[in-house]
Amino acid sequence: MKYSITFLLSLMTLTSVWAGGPWPQPKGKGYFKLFEYWVVADQHFTDAGMIDPNITTAFYSTGVYGEYGLTDRLTAVAYVPFFVRNLYNNAISGTTGEVIIPGEAVNAFGDVDLSLTYGLVRDKPIVMSASVLFGLPTGVTGRGGLGILQTGDGEFNQMIKVDAGGSFQLAGINFYASAYAGFNNRTQGFSDEFRYGFETGGTFLNNKLTAIARFTGIESFQNGSVLSASDGVSLFANNAEYLAFSPEIAYHINEQWGVSASSSTVFFGRLIMASPAYSVGVFFTL
Amino acid sequence: MMLRYTLGFTLLALLGGCIGDDIIDDRVDEVVTIENPIDSLQVGVTYQLNASFLNNIGIEEEREIAWESADENLVTVDQEGTLEGIAVGDTYIVAHVPMSDRMVTDTMTLHISEDLEDGVSGADKGGQLRSTSSYILQGNFTVVGENGGIRITFDDTYKASEALPDLVLFLTNNPTTTAGAYEIGSVEIFSGAHSYFVPNVEVGTYEYLLYYCVPFNVKVGDGLID
Repeated sequence: MKYSITFLLSLMTLTSVWAGGPWPQPKGKGYFKLFEYWVVADQHFTDAGMIDPNITTAFYSTGVYGEYGLTDRLTAVAYVPFFVRNLYNNAISGTTGEVIIPGEAVNAFGDVDLSLTYGLVRDKPIVMSASVLFGLPTGVTGRGGLGILQTGDGEFNQMIKVDAGGSFQLAGINFYASAYAGFNNRTQGFSDEFRYGFETGGTFLNNKLTAIARFTGIESFQNGSVLSASDGVSLFANNAEYLAFSPEIAYHINEQWGVSASSSTVFFGRLIMASPAYSVGVFFTL
Repeated sequence: MMLRYTLGFTLLALLGGCIGDDIIDDRVDEVVTIENPIDSLQVGVTYQLNASFLNNIGIEEEREIAWESADENLVTVDQEGTLEGIAVGDTYIVAHVPMSDRMVTDTMTLHISEDLEDGVSGADKGGQLRSTSSYILQGNFTVVGENGGIRITFDDTYKASEALPDLVLFLTNNPTTTAGAYEIGSVEIFSGAHSYFVPNVEVGTYEYLLYYCVPFNVKVGDGLID
């Protein structure tokens, strides 16, 4: 297994964009989204937080995300990236025009996240929920001639998370705000993580358009182990940290269907890509 | 209608993401390098020097290499690179290849001695590591011939970033890329004195040490072997 820099950014964005917030789905109701997420980057944040160049790498993930209310308090959530493509570019000699190092790509299933969210406080000005998430290593690692392409991280992680939030009106416009904090227990020598986030959003145009401003971050507990390179194994994701801003727009075409688009920019990071990530999707509410 | 949107969206998604091209500025100066330099030669002893010409991407290219002794009263060298010690003293040997606009040379200083164990003494090389990125890389090193190979020894000033996954050490004649480089192996020691033995390589075969993070495809730093 080798852990490319590409994968970190994918983790960063994917685990934040789908946050359902502190509001569980009512029983029998749901939210489902077909999405495409991608990042193409030729630079990254170093361990010192500086920005250095790298060969252009890209990560494309196509998948579905779904929330379904099992009861009025308990919601099942699944994130299934059924087609993930990870690649890096050809390195071409500027002197001779020849290929120095050929680019490669891998296409495979990605890592699936399954979670349950339970509404702790409902029907109050401030609502709260608790979630438990299981990150399944269903993707592939160590692919390509250099063994650095991957569509998953190769480890089984478990996260517990608490969300709190509320809705309010300003100048006749509906707004909401929520925040979360979570502990992500990672295996295979990865450092455990403290994850946090805050978002606020408002609905406009007769509730057809929702604009969201989202901040997410990871702080590493710095307790991972770096395996010996002589074992043919190396770790990257240990001790990665960031603070990102991800604005999102969602437009409801009708009562059930809608489309959304978002981007993600890292304000500060260590050992992650330093290029924006983007996501577009089509969603359906049950 | 939504089904059509969804199918179109999926097809677009699947079509994305072709492998592109990154242009690497890999031009280096052409050089002549004496592969098996010595620093001392005994009077009356002969020694065969080998040299190679490296082109503007650091790849060996067939060129006629001319040899010259700065003082033929002390040491002679023929056009095959064969030295013969004549008299005691200090001088130097030059290997050169004429280019259209300049002369490319490598110079080897040489002491001719009356009495020398084994008749010849190999020259050591060395240099200083430098970071070409934001990752830490520093330290002094020497390169010495040993048992048909070379030993690269770093002193206690050596320090390299532990943050990178699979930092790999290469020998190369083009420090901008790992193409054509000799992979010594993954770095396992990140500070302090240590050494590597590299078999079947001569002291002057490679011009640089190259530290490269393979998973990131990122050059971390290098060290000119001087």
